[in-house]
Amino acid sequence: MGSDVSDDYLVRRAQEGYVDAYAELVDRHGGLAYRVALRLLGNHHDAEDVAQEALVTAWQQLPGFRGHSSFPTWLYQIVTRRALNRITRTRVTESLDLLGDVSAAGGEPGQHTERDLTVDAVTAAVTALPPPQRVAIVLHHFEGLSNGEVARITGSSIPAVRSHLFRGRRTLSKTLAEWR
Amino acid sequence: MSDPGEPIHDVSLLLSGANQHLACGTDVDELLGQAADGYASQFTSHQRDCLYCQAALREFGRIWQPVRSLAAEQVAVPAALKSAVASQIRKLVADVWYTLQLDDGGAIRIAARVVARLAREAAQDVAGVRVAFGRSTHSQMAGLAERATLRHRHPHAAVGVLGRTAVVDLAIAVRYGDPVDAVARQVQQRAVAELRRKVGLQDVTVNVTVDDVIT
Repeated sequence: MGSDVSDDYLVRRAQEGYVDAYAELVDRHGGLAYRVALRLLGNHHDAEDVAQEALVTAWQQLPGFRGHSSFPTWLYQIVTRRALNRITRTRVTESLDLLGDVSAAGGEPGQHTERDLTVDAVTAAVTALPPPQRVAIVLHHFEGLSNGEVARITGSSIPAVRSHLFRGRRTLSKTLAEWR
Repeated sequence: MSDPGEPIHDVSLLLSGANQHLACGTDVDELLGQAADGYASQFTSHQRDCLYCQAALREFGRIWQPVRSLAAEQVAVPAALKSAVASQIRKLVADVWYTLQLDDGGAIRIAARVVARLAREAAQDVAGVRVAFGRSTHSQMAGLAERATLRHRHPHAAVGVLGRTAVVDLAIAVRYGDPVDAVARQVQQRAVAELRRKVGLQDVTVNVTVDDVIT
């Protein structure tokens, strides 16, 4: 039923204390929070923790949200910041499977192995990037955001985002070329 | 057409090299960005005639294919995420309870959020209602909270009250073309009836706010 209304409407209702309106926003954008956390951190456990923290933080900070950006953009900011905090606290990742249950469903065993190796290789290469390059690569190449959007989310400038993308793409390409 | 020269044998060398341009003068990073964005086969007018650029784009496109495939994959969101968030938010929100019975046999209490949810569901069943959200408030407490938080309204301000009297706020959006006042009145009557029937709350006030019309 809530799908009829805009994020702005839901944000306003949630700010007035309609918790169900926020639940609707979590329904719509919880996947974004988890996906970004997973790609930045490289493991499901940390990603779930960070997504949860980000969504609760967003609720707590909702009264201060003035709508200068869209709700998803604001959520990207929160989840990215949370993930970066986690990266600086723990450098070691346990699992490298970005796709989890999805990759485990169907297909031939041989294909699985090859596919899992590829997933692991890409994930390892992404999570080995320095945090600023990793954020730029994930938001631009995985989330499909423009350089301007990435700059807004990271509180950076477009030239800085371009620079991080250039360096991140070079490093990632070298790693993947060697892997192949 | 540019002279193709030596083919690209070692991409790592090309990417590590101090010279960041191909022999044709094209910036390697620009080509890498083009391939990474998925446009390796969409040549510019220069690239259509340049075998250096074509070879580099082909190679960069191959290298980036696994990244692009992974980026296109659906990520399964843990089923527990939404409920875990809801549970944490419940702890943050000042939970208020309606006491239906308090005697020697014990107490029966119902969370205000449950009452608000039942009212919301009742509202959603009314024809013409497109969206409904419910919260539980008590006029006096809500008034105090509203004044206290006038400049910095916070969701936590929406609270209910102990006792047998329920005050529920419903925010609804109605379908364009339907009589707004009639829909709102129906919502009010239905929510009151449902709370009396399902919860046993006799003294119920339901405030309905129509805040949007949806085509």
